[in-house]
Amino acid sequence: MRHGITAFVLILALALPGQAGEIIGFVKTVSGSAAVVDAGKAVPAKVGTPIKMGNTLQTGPGASLGVTFKDNTVMSFGPDTELTVDEYFYAPGADKLKFSSSMSRGTLQVVSGVIAKLKPKAVTVKTPSAMIGCRGTRYLVKVDP
Amino acid sequence: MMNYFKTGGVILAALLCMAGCATQKSYVVLMDNADGTTGKLAVSGKGGEVLLDKPRTAAALDGKAAAPFAVDENAIKRDFGPALAAQPILPVSFLLYYKTGGTVLTDESRSLIPVVLEAAGKYPAPDVSVIGHTDTLGDSAANEVLALQRAQGVAEIIRSAGLQVHDLTVASHGEKNLLIPTPDNTDEPRNRRVEITVR
Repeated sequence: MRHGITAFVLILALALPGQAGEIIGFVKTVSGSAAVVDAGKAVPAKVGTPIKMGNTLQTGPGASLGVTFKDNTVMSFGPDTELTVDEYFYAPGADKLKFSSSMSRGTLQVVSGVIAKLKPKAVTVKTPSAMIGCRGTRYLVKVDP
Repeated sequence: MMNYFKTGGVILAALLCMAGCATQKSYVVLMDNADGTTGKLAVSGKGGEVLLDKPRTAAALDGKAAAPFAVDENAIKRDFGPALAAQPILPVSFLLYYKTGGTVLTDESRSLIPVVLEAAGKYPAPDVSVIGHTDTLGDSAANEVLALQRAQGVAEIIRSAGLQVHDLTVASHGEKNLLIPTPDNTDEPRNRRVEITVR
């Protein structure tokens, strides 16, 4: 019983939104050399590698990467790509919804999730010269700096 | 003669590409969703804003807010082939329903559990969330607890099935997230549910 309660408290803690270091998604597909940069430290991306707010996702030449976020947003990256998750808040109960990212190079597919559905304009991808705002859809981005 | 035409064709194609491809250095393409619907994209920069609302139309990301242009299948394959191929399996959700006032699943929902487990087994590093809900019958605070008990029960079924779940989160929305809007104190079977999402 005590174990059950501990597990339950742990699960509750994981489910609380907006906490620092909170996991917002996981790597689901990877091919070739790809990395998740967390607090300046690059970790090789593997299936199951957690993603947190502030992380940068990178793929090398010939590599690709796929990530599924907690709000069901699905992103996949082609080779030589770099994207940083600037802000990610998924707490519909508290009306705290935001998913903003910056992409400096490469190719990306986004299948938008619950955040885009609940709060149009809360989902953005910033590129060196333009800003993309998404209202519930699938889209492709190429940045050739 | 044949060679002459061939060479001419290649040069023509190259010229067309220079005209067409030069504007496509950095760009965004609106695509249709898996369910056939299409959303919208707003692309903004120094020059203003462009709205995309038709599938396979694109906007340059140079900030100049020029008119959208069409993108064909070949360009999509050429530029986005690897990104498209790396797409993870899209998340899937299931709804399980309950008999009134407790944590007993309807017979139909009970029989759905093997389907849920089989689907979850197909995902790499499955990330599962379980959210419990009630109808508006009874006290709101009690419903918060009941919804949590429902969700915990489902989480326990998933755990005990031996499925290698990478992450499992459990939450209660009580009577505050109705699938079918009703007044307070309303018996509504479709609101007595647990939503399982597998990512």
